Amino acid sequence: MIRFDKISKSYPDGTTALRDISFEVPKGQFCVLLGHSGAGKSTILRLINGLVEPSDGDVSVDGTKIAPQTLQTVRRKVAMIHQEFNLSGRSSVATNVMTGALPDVPVLMSLLGWFPAAIRKKCCELVELVGLREEHLKRRASALSGGQQQRVGIARSLMLDPLVILADEPIASLDPSTSREVLGHLRKIARERDCTILCCLHQVELAKEFADRIVGIEGGRVVFDLVPKDVDDKTLRLIYKNYDDPAGEKTLMEANVDKALSPAIIPG
Amino acid sequence: MSVENEMKRAAGKERPSSAWEISPPYGTKTVLVVIVVAIFMYFSGKNSEIDRMFYLLGEAAGNVVGLNESSQVVNGTQTIANAMFPLQFSEVTEVSRIENFDPEDLPMFARVETQEATTTVVDPATLAISKTVTERTVVYNPVGYLFHVVDKMIETIEIAIWATFFSIIISIPLAYYSSANYTPNRIVYGFARGIVSLFRAIPELISAMFLVLAFGFGPIAGILALAFHSAGFLGKFYAEDIENADKGPQEALRAVGVSKVKTLRYAVLPQVLPQYVAYNMYILDRNVRMATVIGIVGAGGIGQELKGRYDMFEYGHVATILVMIFITVFALDQIAGRIRSKLI
Repeated sequence: MIRFDKISKSYPDGTTALRDISFEVPKGQFCVLLGHSGAGKSTILRLINGLVEPSDGDVSVDGTKIAPQTLQTVRRKVAMIHQEFNLSGRSSVATNVMTGALPDVPVLMSLLGWFPAAIRKKCCELVELVGLREEHLKRRASALSGGQQQRVGIARSLMLDPLVILADEPIASLDPSTSREVLGHLRKIARERDCTILCCLHQVELAKEFADRIVGIEGGRVVFDLVPKDVDDKTLRLIYKNYDDPAGEKTLMEANVDKALSPAIIPG
Repeated sequence: MSVENEMKRAAGKERPSSAWEISPPYGTKTVLVVIVVAIFMYFSGKNSEIDRMFYLLGEAAGNVVGLNESSQVVNGTQTIANAMFPLQFSEVTEVSRIENFDPEDLPMFARVETQEATTTVVDPATLAISKTVTERTVVYNPVGYLFHVVDKMIETIEIAIWATFFSIIISIPLAYYSSANYTPNRIVYGFARGIVSLFRAIPELISAMFLVLAFGFGPIAGILALAFHSAGFLGKFYAEDIENADKGPQEALRAVGVSKVKTLRYAVLPQVLPQYVAYNMYILDRNVRMATVIGIVGAGGIGQELKGRYDMFEYGHVATILVMIFITVFALDQIAGRIRSKLI
């Protein structure tokens, strides 16, 4: 379904995000990309819907190579879920979900805020599917909890019946139990609709629990590509230097907390 | 973090905190700047007669507390203030000047009165001065002029509302083309920016002067002058908000291939709408104030009335108009405050 062929990417400021990446994600697979921040995971996702252009190599989705001419066709098949949800906070849940179908709405109609009946109907179905209730439809997106907002994001991504869902750290701003719920929901929906999911994660445990396949990214390269049960501490040390505390940031955070709490620094 | 710091320190790139310094907020540079500014202010002040202003103000203050006997400023102010009071509310119209006068059909509060008018006549043959007393019938309306002013004020507010409406319409496309992230290309961008600056650069009083020549006396010139000038402001404000809007929702829509116009409508507009309403309220408020002024060049509204009365030295009428303007602006401020607090 998704094919990376010798992809490299360097930014104008000289940083190299990806070096010679090649792998393939078959249809219906829940593939997780693991790696610390800045390893190049987000760049890989953004290549697939053309938000980032590769410096070298080809990306193809469903047999179509991504190029300026094919970009719109590809984007219709690819949906994205974002770390910060990226909802329009002041708009209602219904409007947010329906914006997922905007490419299908005539311009004038969309400017007047009028969505075709079929889209409105589908929006209701999807909102129910992701586990929200009728009363949520009219609420402002910003009034929902983080988990609920991400559900809205998932519903929005499903509006055009995508073949591929890209999830860019979809649970990074959620608490652990909500994370599990959201990921579970995402996987269930993808199974039912035979969607391919490519998902960046930081949480090793969750990745092992939900993924069909885990790809480790470090320094812009694929360092391992395994089924979850084969991922052990040794492989994880390839991406997290001292695996015991994955995510790397945790060390930093804890170090800072320890410092802040140490009596020498607290005044008085 | 600390590990990194230690590594850098080891590499000699970073000094220990004992060697760090926080420089004081002021130094030689500040003193120099102050001196330069002071010199500039001295010469510019001479140019702008600031010294004379303080002299006159001092003289006036001395006059008020009884230190010196006369002050040009105090005398002038007193003359005007005396002429302004009492405020002129009433209106007297001679019956003979009213076409098809019908004593049964008078305006509200008005009554028919007989007034005696004394006229001095010089006999051209003998050059003797004689006084004749003539009687004339007039319609006396105690609040006639007040009504007239209220009427003019409503016209002024109407001018302001229409001007604001048109300026919003004009500024929407301008904002779209002059925001760096939505404009189709550099040329259109530069062009749109240029128009926005141009609109802002021409004061409405000046453009009203020329528009009066083109459209004749009356509200059309006023509406157009205000609309273009405020479109310059709104276009700039809108564009800046579009550029600064949160990129997240926009990226989300771009990722599924949504067009620019639709992205603007669904990912930017909801974010900036409260701010837009606040801008529009401000522009309306400003247009009402400016609409009272542009009448002076004949562009309709209460300013036209004000200018006429001022030129005739009818300061009582002028005072009524000024009070009316003040009340209107004050009331509008209150209403705007309420609407704003409800919307945001």
